[in-house]
Amino acid sequence: MDKTWKIQDLGRGLRNSLVAMLHGEFLLRLNVGRYFVHIVYVFFLFAMVIWISLMIENTMNKVENNKSVLQELEIVHSQKVFDLVSLSKRSSVRDLLEQKGSKLTEPTQPATLLIK
Amino acid sequence: MEANNGTKKTRDRIGVILYVLYVVLLLASVVLFLKIAGIQLFFKPNPKIATALTPSSRARTLEPIRGNIIDCNGRILAMSCPTYQIAMDCTVRREEFAADTKKGEQREKAWQEKALALSRELPKVFPDKTADQYYKLIMDGRRNGKKYVRLGKPVDRNVYNRVKEFPLFNEGRNQGGFIAEQKNIRIYPYGKLARRTIGFVRDNSSAVGNTHVGLEGKFDYVLHGKEGKEWLKVTDAGRVQDNDSTRTRAEDGKDIRTTINIDYQDIAYRALYGEIAEETDLEGACLVLMESATGAIRAMVNLYRDGEAADFEEVSNLAIGRAIEPGSVFKTVTLMQVLSDGHIKSLEDLIPTNHGNIKGVRIAQDSHILDHERLHGTNSISVIDGFKISSNYVFGTLAVSNYSKKPMRFIENIHSYKLAEAFDFDLAGLATPTIPSPKDKNRYWSLTDLAVMGYGYGTRETPLHILTFYNAIANKGRMMKPYLVEDIEKDGNVKNMRGPALMSTICSKAVADTITRALKAVTEEGTARRLKDAKCPVAGKTGTSFGTYSGGGYKDEYGRHKYQGTFVGFFPADDPHYSVICTVFSKPTSKQFQGGGIPARAIKSLVNGLYSIDPCFQPKLTASK
Repeated sequence: MDKTWKIQDLGRGLRNSLVAMLHGEFLLRLNVGRYFVHIVYVFFLFAMVIWISLMIENTMNKVENNKSVLQELEIVHSQKVFDLVSLSKRSSVRDLLEQKGSKLTEPTQPATLLIK
Repeated sequence: MEANNGTKKTRDRIGVILYVLYVVLLLASVVLFLKIAGIQLFFKPNPKIATALTPSSRARTLEPIRGNIIDCNGRILAMSCPTYQIAMDCTVRREEFAADTKKGEQREKAWQEKALALSRELPKVFPDKTADQYYKLIMDGRRNGKKYVRLGKPVDRNVYNRVKEFPLFNEGRNQGGFIAEQKNIRIYPYGKLARRTIGFVRDNSSAVGNTHVGLEGKFDYVLHGKEGKEWLKVTDAGRVQDNDSTRTRAEDGKDIRTTINIDYQDIAYRALYGEIAEETDLEGACLVLMESATGAIRAMVNLYRDGEAADFEEVSNLAIGRAIEPGSVFKTVTLMQVLSDGHIKSLEDLIPTNHGNIKGVRIAQDSHILDHERLHGTNSISVIDGFKISSNYVFGTLAVSNYSKKPMRFIENIHSYKLAEAFDFDLAGLATPTIPSPKDKNRYWSLTDLAVMGYGYGTRETPLHILTFYNAIANKGRMMKPYLVEDIEKDGNVKNMRGPALMSTICSKAVADTITRALKAVTEEGTARRLKDAKCPVAGKTGTSFGTYSGGGYKDEYGRHKYQGTFVGFFPADDPHYSVICTVFSKPTSKQFQGGGIPARAIKSLVNGLYSIDPCFQPKLTASK
C-alpha cells in the first residue's frame, strides 16, 4: 500500500528509534540481526584502534625517555673520550711522568726491529 | 520500479535503507570533494582563527653529529662534545614564600642561607667573582625579579656534574633555580697542536664563513652531515614523536682521516716553539714535515704573534698563505736547471770569480767571493763551493751566462717545477707564487731580473711550494702532490680514498742525486753546518731574504730589515723518508735571523726527536734459525 511521507513521520521515527534503543531492540527493529556479528566486529575494530593508539603513545613516551637516557650516555661517553685523548698527548705524558718523579723519559735510540 | 523486462521487482526494506545510505554518502562525498577543492584553491582563513585551531604539533630538527677529524693513527683531533652554560632563576619560590603568611619569612630566610652556601661554592668553578660578589648577584637578581642570571662561561660535563650538586642547585630548577643550557661545540683534545691546519668551527649549526677555516672549513660538506626532521605532538606525558607524521632521520657527518701524525706534530711544535718562544723580534714561524715518497704532510706548525699578543698562537697558516721571496733556497732551482739543460757537467765545474761582480749586471758585489779569493788565492770557484757558501754571484752568473739569450727557458723551467701555480690543496688559501717574465708587458725586464731570480729574489713562493720542490729531489725527481686528507670514513669504513698523487717528474734521477750531493755538502761544510751533528744525516739548504716595506725597499728609515730565514731539506740524506721546511718571519729588527740559525736548530731538534721513534730509523736484526 502506497504511503505518503509526512514531516511528523520523521519525528515519530526518531522517537521510535530512541525507544527502541532504550529497549535494546534498535537493531532488531531495523531487522539487521543477521549483520549483528559485523556490527560487533566494527565496534571491536574501533576499540582496537583506540587501544593501539594508546599503546603507541605509551611506546613513544618510552622512546622519548630512552632517547634522553641515550643522549645522556653519549654525552658521558664523549666527555670521557675527550678526557682520555687529551691525556694521550706526548708532551702531556712526559710532563705527567716528570711530575710523578718517574725516571722514564723519551727514548734516545730507536728500538731494534727483530725479523724472523 | 520497472525492471527492463517489464516485471515489477519489489525491493526489501534493507535494500532500500542501504540504497538511501549509498545515495546520502555519495552526495556527502561530492560535497566533501567540492569543499576540499574550494579550500585548496580559494579559501583564505582568518590568521587568528587559523592559529587558534592549528593543533599543537610542531616540527623538531634532528641535528646530525658532526664527523671527527682523526690523525693518521686514528687519534681524535677534533670532535663534538656538549658544554653547559650555567644560569640561575633568582626569583624561584619568591612569590610562594611571600604568599605564605605564617612561615613565609622563615622559609625565605632559609632559602637565602642556601644561596649564601651556593655563593661560597661558585668561585671554585667560576673564579671570575668572589663569594660575596656571587651572593650579591643572586640577591640583587631576586630583588629585581631576574629569572635568568648567567654564571661564568660554558663548562664541560665534569664541571656541570659538580655544579649541580652545589647547595640550592641540588634542588633542581623549580626549587633551586638551577638552569643549564646544553650546546654541542667543537673541541680539540690536543689543544694548540695543528690547530690552524685542523681549523676552527664554532659548532655544527653555524654557517660556513670566517668561523670555518682549515680542514673544518674545506671539508665541512663531509663533516657536517644532514639534518633530519620529525613532528611532535603533545600528550599527557609531554611532547612525543607523532607517529602519524613522516620522520626523516638525521644523517651523521663522516670522519676525516688526516695525514697528520699527532706525535710528530707535538715534536715539531716543541722543536719550533722552543727556539722562538723568547724571540720578541719574531712575528711568526712555520714548520712542515712531509713524507717524501707520498707527499703526505705529517706535521704542520704555524706559530704567529698577532699584533702585540704576548705569545705565539696557531692563528695564521704561514706555510701556505704567505708567499715570500725565497732567498738562497731558490738557488737549488737554478742548479737543477743548469744541470738538466746540460750547461754544467758536474758540481766541480769552475766559474771565474770576477771579484764577485756579475758581468753585465749592476748588483752589489758578493762579499763571499772576495773571502773565497782571499782564502784560497784563486780567481775561480766551483759550483759546489758556491752552493756551500751560498754565493749570490755564482748563481746569478749561472742564470745570466746560460739564459740571458733565452730567458723564457729559465721561466718555463720554473713553471715545469710547479713553482708558479697554486695547485689544488686540501686547505683553502694557498697563495699563488709570483714569477716575473719577459712577456709581462706591464713590467720592464732586464738581465738584473734574471740574475736576482737565479739566487732567489724577484720571485715569491710559499714555504709549501719550496718544500714540494725539495721533496721532488728527495724523491729522485718525482714531484708528489702535498696532501693532508688520507681518506673519508664512516663508522671506521673507508668511503672515499684520497692518498698520494704524482704531479710530475721534474728531473732525472742523476740530476736529483747530484743535487742531493750538493745539499749534503751544505749541511756538512756549508751554511747549515749546525745540522752536521744531528742524529741522522740531513741534506738541505739555508736561505735568507728580506721582506719588503710599503715603498718597495728592504730597509726602513732606521735601517731595520724584516728577515725571512729558511732551512729546507730532507733526511736521512742517503735514503730520504721525510722532507722538511722551517721558515721564520721577523718584525723590523736590527738582529739577524738567518736560515742557518733558528730554522736549522728547530729542524735539528725535530730530526733528533723523530730519530728515536720513527720506524725508518729502527735497525733491523734478523733472528738466527
